[in-house]
Amino acid sequence: MDGPDRAQERLQARAPETELIREAQAGSRAAFDALVRQYEQQVLRLALHLTGSEHDAEDIYQEAFLKAFRYIGNFRFECSFYTWIYRIVTNLCLDQLRRRKTRREDQAIMVDHSGDEIDMLATISDTRSFSNPGKELDRKVLGERIQAALSKLTPRERMVFELKHYQGLRLRTIGEMLNTTEETAKNTLFRATKKLRTQLAGLR
Amino acid sequence: MNCDLAHERIVLAAYAELLDEQAHELERHLATCSDCSQEREQLLALKTLATAYPVRELDPNFVARSRMRLDEALDAVPPKRWYERVGQRIMNSFSNLQAAPAAALLLLIVGAGAGAVGGFEYAQARAAHVAGRPQPSAKSDPQSPTSAEVAGVASVSSVVRQPNSEIVEVTYNQVVPRRVQGPLDDPDIRRLLMLASENPDSPGVRDDSVGLLADECRARHACNGEGIRDALMVALRYDRSETVREKALQGLEPFVAENMDVRNAVLEALLNDPDPRIRTSAISILEPVEGDTSVRQVLSTVANSDHNPHIRTVSREVLSRAPEIQ
Repeated sequence: MDGPDRAQERLQARAPETELIREAQAGSRAAFDALVRQYEQQVLRLALHLTGSEHDAEDIYQEAFLKAFRYIGNFRFECSFYTWIYRIVTNLCLDQLRRRKTRREDQAIMVDHSGDEIDMLATISDTRSFSNPGKELDRKVLGERIQAALSKLTPRERMVFELKHYQGLRLRTIGEMLNTTEETAKNTLFRATKKLRTQLAGLR
Repeated sequence: MNCDLAHERIVLAAYAELLDEQAHELERHLATCSDCSQEREQLLALKTLATAYPVRELDPNFVARSRMRLDEALDAVPPKRWYERVGQRIMNSFSNLQAAPAAALLLLIVGAGAGAVGGFEYAQARAAHVAGRPQPSAKSDPQSPTSAEVAGVASVSSVVRQPNSEIVEVTYNQVVPRRVQGPLDDPDIRRLLMLASENPDSPGVRDDSVGLLADECRARHACNGEGIRDALMVALRYDRSETVREKALQGLEPFVAENMDVRNAVLEALLNDPDPRIRTSAISILEPVEGDTSVRQVLSTVANSDHNPHIRTVSREVLSRAPEIQ
């Protein structure tokens, strides 16, 4: 998992980033574009993994940066810009997950922009099964089972598990992003792992 | 330790969120409890399973398409008009005032004073008008503002031309320089110092104020409340002047062991600050904190990747003295 490395890159980039934020606040579109470039990959990756749909991920990405553009004047350096933009993105993702729960659309597979299914596991090299189609199929089925189990979590549990397990963030930071305490984030993670274990019992 | 607590801590340990001391305690419990050992095995198995749904690399076409759509949407956003920008600045200033009640009070008094002067002037002018006396010209009126006063005008709140006359009545608010004296531990003086630590126009003022606040903290003079630590953390993270950041770091030293937020700010300085002197000072300040895994994690990152050889060596020395626990 490359979460800590990415976190470190972000920290090392902080000094020029402050200047960029100030310029963007003064109305510089170029400075804002530079900030977008800095975070767009992380935002898209998070939204895509959470929603499983390129279309939804693209919508969340666009809405998040448009909001950031409109309200960057309100950013007061009380937290890192990274936390601020992630807070916007996680809120939009939570809304999307809640809408999906309401519609009971449990998507167990990823779809791309045109609506076609994506075999995301095919992009991962697996030395144990590279020449074994049976194992490839097992792996695909396993991935789908896990995605289905994740979709049964509440949106908040899903978000905390995503940010901790897949994005490698500290619980303290997750709490800050979700406007809650570290303790609540801990409890949510505990509940999420417990539910996932129940859902996936028998797979091991 | 009971098994319920152990189950919670197993999750935290699996995600490196447990303090060393708690991890030790958990290990001791696991050595004697087979149920909890099994619980840990199951959790680790879940972690392995979850890798079958990986975060995949992004398709460059997808990124490019998203970026293009965003660019178009941003182009369609109308530029902020001048009054929106002014409104934004006022809102930001208002937030500042909320954070600095003493300064807010001061400005309120100045505003009220200016309003009273304006009201007095208005009453006099009205009285003169009613009495039919010749209207004094603006230049000859001792009550009218001089050029120096006009230069200190903060905002104009109304402009009214009197009917059938050349007289115009302008109501304005003025910023009047004030001077206060008081001991360093006076709450109002401290609030002013905190306000001064954010003065973007004068590095000298920031340097002086942060230096004084830092000295107070180092001397442990009631530095826990009133947001002084926050002001020092903001200075350490964002101030452009190395001297100011260095002073802020020194002021935070007494709180590194006990306060996690302070520790985070110092860790960020160690990873991020462009000045090697500040990074070196951060190492020496962090040295006594052994219970936080993130301290060792950052030290080990710096020991491996800092471009300054001296800092790499110092970090390695500190790490070699810290007990290997995990």
